Amino acid sequence: MIDLLGSLAQGVEKGDDKQVVELVGKALQGGTVAREILEEGLVPGIQALGQRFKEGMAYLPEILVSCRAMSRGVELLKPHLGGADVGNKGTVVVGTVEGDMHDIGKNLVKIMLESNGFRVEDLGADVVPETFVNAVRDSKADVVALSALLTMTMVEMPNVIGALKEAGLRGKVKVLIGGAPITRQFADEIGAEGFAEDCASAVDEVVRLMAL
Amino acid sequence: MVDKSKVPMPNRERFLAVCRGKRLGDVPIADWYNKYWAETPAVWVKQGAPKEILTAEGFQSYFQLDHYQSLQEIVACVMRSDLKEDPEQPGSGYYLVTPPVVPVFEQKVLREDGRHRVETTYGGATVEVSKEHPLAMPRYLDHPVKDWASWREYKKRLDPDTPERWPRDWEAYVARRNSQDAPTLLMLSGFFGMLREWAGLERLLFMFYDEPDLVEDMMEQMLYLVMGVAKRALRDLRVECVRFWEDMAYKAGPLISPAMVRKFMLPHYRKITDFLHSQGIDIIHLDSDGNVNELIPIWLEVGINFPWPLEVAAGMDGVALRKKYGKDIILGGNIDKRAFIKGKDVLREEVMSKVPYLVETGAFFPGIDHSTPPDVPFENFCYFINLLREIGGLEKLPE
Repeated sequence: MIDLLGSLAQGVEKGDDKQVVELVGKALQGGTVAREILEEGLVPGIQALGQRFKEGMAYLPEILVSCRAMSRGVELLKPHLGGADVGNKGTVVVGTVEGDMHDIGKNLVKIMLESNGFRVEDLGADVVPETFVNAVRDSKADVVALSALLTMTMVEMPNVIGALKEAGLRGKVKVLIGGAPITRQFADEIGAEGFAEDCASAVDEVVRLMAL
Repeated sequence: MVDKSKVPMPNRERFLAVCRGKRLGDVPIADWYNKYWAETPAVWVKQGAPKEILTAEGFQSYFQLDHYQSLQEIVACVMRSDLKEDPEQPGSGYYLVTPPVVPVFEQKVLREDGRHRVETTYGGATVEVSKEHPLAMPRYLDHPVKDWASWREYKKRLDPDTPERWPRDWEAYVARRNSQDAPTLLMLSGFFGMLREWAGLERLLFMFYDEPDLVEDMMEQMLYLVMGVAKRALRDLRVECVRFWEDMAYKAGPLISPAMVRKFMLPHYRKITDFLHSQGIDIIHLDSDGNVNELIPIWLEVGINFPWPLEVAAGMDGVALRKKYGKDIILGGNIDKRAFIKGKDVLREEVMSKVPYLVETGAFFPGIDHSTPPDVPFENFCYFINLLREIGGLEKLPE
């Protein structure tokens, strides 16, 4: 069984969705518990790919095909997880800040977070602070992830933090920021707890912020 | 003794000399490498700038920038002068970005609310535009190329010989362009950025794995287009430089692996650059945002030797590139846009840490690392131009 789960992890890592579907089916037929297939087969695969990405050994196409393979495996497991929320490690609200229509980076962060077991509420692009506040309140989000691609729009990030404070939510949610002009120093200046260079490190930052 | 580097020289010759590292110490301050957002001049006028900067010519004249002309009327690139922006919008030097399709698709508004408008583009995409910032990059909602069937239809608009692709009175156009003493850039499309415009980034990235033959066919068509355009243009026009548009990197690196670049793109690039070299064009400029450090050595293999804008926020460092590649590489941009916003002291430090060294080693065109956004104060941009002039031994402009 270890070999089967190991092969499953490899299938996810190399983005072979057909292999993943086949192996998940085999594992279920062989009596392996769904949770074990998820946690010892699929998750190590996506984590290994994330690590390769951070080391510069994998690129965005590899991220996408791996996440797709992961997602197809998870879909097969869902009916066997006894109604449990699939790997729900926490809730993250994501969005691009007001005035900024760029959403590619934000979309990649969403894909990676979902593949790593987080529930993601995607608010889209050009999102006003009030919408972030409402989404954080309604979803009881653990983390809110703000994206900006422009120097013109990164200045909206402190406005979102201010709005969260005003709504009494600042102590209940961590703020993660990212985007082309964003630096750790800027995150520190505006009081954001997290900063991510790319979609894989965004997952690491969410894990860190939630102390998982 | 006359300092030869200060002797005036016709603009075209000077551009070539700088590119080839023959004008050491020269500081070319050119409009092409100091572009700006459409909104920026209007914001600066409110800060006290003269109204003459509201036109591209006035901007160039006010800041005494060298003028480089691009052949944007020839449709093999991302700019279309005939599709110029809404005349009611302020600003200048702005052109709608569209894939090089002829004929263009009908542009129409599909729906709108108080803040956004959803519309189709000349390139066949569906985008959401911010009403508050109508000239800023829109959000792409849909793209025209989804599969083989949609691609077969789309590629019909990518023929280099379509008459409407070319200026109507070619001889007059050639005479006018060739008579101008401005370095001339022929603008061609690259083999990644435009495919992304056609298919959307996510779909294209999947296609590299799922439908490599389709990717290959799209690149073949692009080669057919740019080769056809280059052959006709270079037959008659005097061109100093060819520019490809890619935008194929982000902050952390290229959007696809160097291995994929080699496998899919390089053979096509080699064919077009071999042709350009055969025509005496050895200055090949490539526009890509983001961190392109891993791509530069691959580009250099096929003679693409002029990367721009070398975004500092993405980790690009012109000084390090010069030390690594010597005069094999021509550099442009690389002055951090964030320094322009932070203030004169930070801007001075940024300029002085790069410009004196890079102009002394040659083949450098200083400029903001992409277009100047409206949050750069007018005063700081004036300060920047004067810093460059000071380094170049030129008289300062009034601030």
